[in-house]
Amino acid sequence: MSAADFLNLFIAAVLLAGVYAAMSVGMTIIYGVMKIVNLAHAGFLMLGAYFVFEAYDRFKIDPLLGVLLAFPVFFFIGMGVHWLLVRRIATSDQPTLTSLLLLFGVWLVLQNLGYLIWGNSDRAILTPRTLSSIEIGPISFPTIRLAVFVVAVASLVGLEFVLHKTWFGRSVRALMQNKEAGQIVGVNVNRTAQIAFGVGIAFAGAAGGLLAMLYSFNPDFGATFQLRAFVIIVLGGLESFGGVAVGSLILALAETFVILILPASYQPAIAFSLLVVALIVLPEGIAGLWAKRRRWA
Amino acid sequence: MFNSCVHRLLQRSKALLHVLAIAVIVLVLVSPAWGQDEIKIGVIMPITGREAKPGQYQREGIELAIKQINDGGGILIKSRGKKLPIKEVFYDDGSDQSRSAGMAERAMSSDGVVAVIGGYSTALGEAESVMPDRYQTPWITPGAGATSTFSRGYEYVFGTLSPIDLLGYTTAQYLGNLVDKGKLSKGLKIALALENTDHGVEYGHGIDNWNKEHPGYFNVVFSEKFELGATDFSGLLQKVKNSHADIFLADAHLQDYITMHRQYIQSGMYHQMVSYGARGPEADARKALGAATDYIFAGIWWSSKLAYPQVKKFNDDYQAFTGHPPDSWYPATAYDAMRVLAVAIEHAGSLDKTAIRDQLRKTELKNSILPGQVVRFGKNGQIQGSFVIVQNKPDDKVDIVFPLDAATGESVAPKPKAH
Repeated sequence: MSAADFLNLFIAAVLLAGVYAAMSVGMTIIYGVMKIVNLAHAGFLMLGAYFVFEAYDRFKIDPLLGVLLAFPVFFFIGMGVHWLLVRRIATSDQPTLTSLLLLFGVWLVLQNLGYLIWGNSDRAILTPRTLSSIEIGPISFPTIRLAVFVVAVASLVGLEFVLHKTWFGRSVRALMQNKEAGQIVGVNVNRTAQIAFGVGIAFAGAAGGLLAMLYSFNPDFGATFQLRAFVIIVLGGLESFGGVAVGSLILALAETFVILILPASYQPAIAFSLLVVALIVLPEGIAGLWAKRRRWA
Repeated sequence: MFNSCVHRLLQRSKALLHVLAIAVIVLVLVSPAWGQDEIKIGVIMPITGREAKPGQYQREGIELAIKQINDGGGILIKSRGKKLPIKEVFYDDGSDQSRSAGMAERAMSSDGVVAVIGGYSTALGEAESVMPDRYQTPWITPGAGATSTFSRGYEYVFGTLSPIDLLGYTTAQYLGNLVDKGKLSKGLKIALALENTDHGVEYGHGIDNWNKEHPGYFNVVFSEKFELGATDFSGLLQKVKNSHADIFLADAHLQDYITMHRQYIQSGMYHQMVSYGARGPEADARKALGAATDYIFAGIWWSSKLAYPQVKKFNDDYQAFTGHPPDSWYPATAYDAMRVLAVAIEHAGSLDKTAIRDQLRKTELKNSILPGQVVRFGKNGQIQGSFVIVQNKPDDKVDIVFPLDAATGESVAPKPKAH
């Protein structure tokens, strides 16, 4: 394999990591604040894909703009779902069976809603960008993957800004670190949880829109990505956004480069092997490793 | 005294009535076909999940055949001395193997069907195929073509889809024909990317078999399996690139075909000929990939362009029935599965499942819409019909390019570099 091929493959892996990070971050926010594993994540990924598809198909809204529109729309949908269902679950420091069952039920409802509205056809978004590439010498950047990566990174940077520079962000971080202490210093737990759930769903919807530009989809869409999101957030350390970014990169690099040595049919096994390794070697994920290093320093 | 006698008699009568009622219920449950004025046929298809689209098309093919048979009064059952209409009992397996097997069991054990048509996709068909012999109920699959399904000595299992290894064999035969015609050079290198299912494995075997019989035509320089529903094919495609093959042959389901071919185009790859097995001419794929599907060729079990009068009639009837033209081969094998079953039931002259099975072994459907115009089950229960090779052309045109006597257009080989 030439150096150019290696570089092209590396770029493909980094671009894939951007997609993985975008689809995982929503799950991390919700887990971090509420200790809920959002099993309906795949359902919102699917709805996000259809949202961007419909915006493009009916109103000729560019899919990238559609992704930006998905943020506020899914934010309010998430707030609504929280108000209607999630707030009724008893709060806990650990994921509860009730929350798992509730959100699994929500996923099934969303899936069936998808079938009701859009039927079972496979949809895909085809724009002039879909199949084009930007060539810089022997290096090739698939335009749509690059665009998806840029939007994904921009939204992660935006989230980091919100988390560090706004009162809401500080509230979220406070609840992620220590809920009781957050309450003592005046954080409104319920309100923050509702907004955090909205933000998590907004990221899921937007990520679904990004995925719709890369893959064909139907109402079953999202399950494969949800499994990868689990691996990434466990690898990243469950509540760490930096960990999610690094976890996404590790998974994408592993999936892309291990295939060069092993048969491609082992690709799903790579994700699950990483999950097992993470649980045994790094039970607190990459974020835990950083924390340990800081303590030793 | 009198009162107590009457009371005892009444009690006994009540008990007798209860026993009789239970006996009737049991009789009805145990022999659901008994006394029925209809022929119940179970239809198990995925109309949700990843196989929803082809499953829906197959269902439409079956329902069109049922409608036409019922419009003609039904099937003549000699033992009843009259024609009985077909009643479809439909099950959606949700593209899930265990559900598919469960539905087959339910249809055959408790819903009183005389036969089942089901199993779109090899994986779902495999799951259902263990039930027919257990419940001694004929089962015809119009969508599972892997030979493994038919190689276990089952006696109630039939299929209207020719074997997948024949698909691989015909694909290689077509490419060999292009070499003979001077369109491709001899000794070209082939890269194979096969889905990790029986379907993929048998497709590869078919190509290998033809190559062994015709040495010197092609060299398979790369062959690897990939998992269904993968999110990224960069690594696999890089290996294909590294093999420096001239021809790229994959065997993939629709979603994987779309994802893989998008990445193939984005990475600027080119091969003289490209195929994704039985995928290629589907409308959904052309919507998702646009002109990037031009010149891809596919081996399929049927084409709406076959120049048989019964195919033209089928196209018109299907359009009128569903409101859309046939998309690829899916409804055709299902349509003929229902028709050959109807002929077998009529020949059996009763709703006895074993008699129907025996007739299926002997029956020939002579005005079949499938290539060759005859449906006849082989010893293993699977038909051995021929495939047609189609090639996508610009402006959504699709031509049959092989076998030559059925061709509607010339092969474009090697495919232009822009594609």
